[in-house]
Amino acid sequence: MDNARAWLEKIHAFEFDRPVKIMNVCGGHERSITHAGMRGALPEWLELIPGPGCPVCVCPEEDVYQAIRLALVDKVILVAFGDMLRVPVNVKKGEVRSLVEAQAAGADVRPIASPLDARRIALENPDRPVVFFAAGFETTTAPTAAMLTEGIPDNLGILLSGRLTWPAVAMLLESSSPGFDALVAPGHVSTVMGPQEWNFVVDRHEIPTAVAGFRPESLLASFYSVLRQLKSGECFLDNCYREVAHPDGNPTARRMMGETLDVVDANWRGIGVIPNSGYALKPAFAQHDARLLFPDHADPDRRRAGEMPPGCDCARVVLGKIYPNQCRIYGKACTPRHPVGPCMVSDEGACRIWWAGGVRMAADG
Amino acid sequence: MCLAIPMQIESIDGFTARCQAKGVWRDVSLFMMQDALPAVGDFVMVHVGYAIQKVAEADARTAWELLDQILGETGA
Repeated sequence: MDNARAWLEKIHAFEFDRPVKIMNVCGGHERSITHAGMRGALPEWLELIPGPGCPVCVCPEEDVYQAIRLALVDKVILVAFGDMLRVPVNVKKGEVRSLVEAQAAGADVRPIASPLDARRIALENPDRPVVFFAAGFETTTAPTAAMLTEGIPDNLGILLSGRLTWPAVAMLLESSSPGFDALVAPGHVSTVMGPQEWNFVVDRHEIPTAVAGFRPESLLASFYSVLRQLKSGECFLDNCYREVAHPDGNPTARRMMGETLDVVDANWRGIGVIPNSGYALKPAFAQHDARLLFPDHADPDRRRAGEMPPGCDCARVVLGKIYPNQCRIYGKACTPRHPVGPCMVSDEGACRIWWAGGVRMAADG
Repeated sequence: MCLAIPMQIESIDGFTARCQAKGVWRDVSLFMMQDALPAVGDFVMVHVGYAIQKVAEADARTAWELLDQILGETGA
């Protein structure tokens, strides 16, 4: 911790006559920041903004709906990371609105901790179709690609909702109001894909950037780095997680992703389609593509399909436009016990993290 | 979902490694480590059942301390 104190002192030695906003795009970073109470220990002119760092939060509503229908109507064994089970969809009152409600209604929905669990469950149930609802960023999508490369049972389908992190940052930077002055790039996405993915932030947008790990020392070092870059006017991509995030990332993982997955335009819940921001199974794996194996349950009459729930400001929270407790329903209608939006459901959602960190009141409360 | 935990490899069978972290054992896939296969005794970052990178022992131990604090607080 002495190291952390030294970094804090160095950060406090800076003087800025305007607010400086540093965005992170990783739920793990936001959890470390909130857990350590960093916001209270940093200078008043420094704001830490949680940005698009929660794959569960941006997973398309229509994909969650499709997963629910696969479990209820097509009677598949639906397996998904535990975070996905309570994500609500927009349906009429009384209808099944999440995978956990589908489970309660008799569907075979099982939480898993690894793609390997999906394979094991398929092997144990050779006579039943099993669908792995695979949402996640690059770090989580890479193991799915590895599993496909290694080979999976015939009865295992994949409903892939994988997303790339950097295109959402690119979209923000290309908008008229990005909302941040510097970026802390995600540690484990960079571990897999390589820190160089973030060069565009520096090269194209001249925004100071540093990859960070998850310890306070690493995060504070990254804040110091980007502030120093801002002061000097010389931007570069720094790496404050060198011990794990190596140049070029994990070459095996990247090769397997390239061999099994295509990068496609993809929808982000409440945000819209972002070019080249999603993963899809390559045609060679069509026999495992749940989007091709099963009927499309999209219902043209369903209201608010694809959107965030009514009254929920998750989309603006995800984009770093507002803090979690500035949402109209934070801590009122929306709590971890009764979550309305996905940001309060997922352990990586900024709302859930802030709530766990003790922020119990809306900003205006 | 991007939370990764460092674990130490105790034995290896093919691409499956028996790994341990603070008294918890798991089978971990080394399938994504083929360009730099770790050995018994090495520490690896494990994410959703797959090793994604080797780590030094000192870094693994400090990461465990951080996880202890966070998990202790959230009761997870």
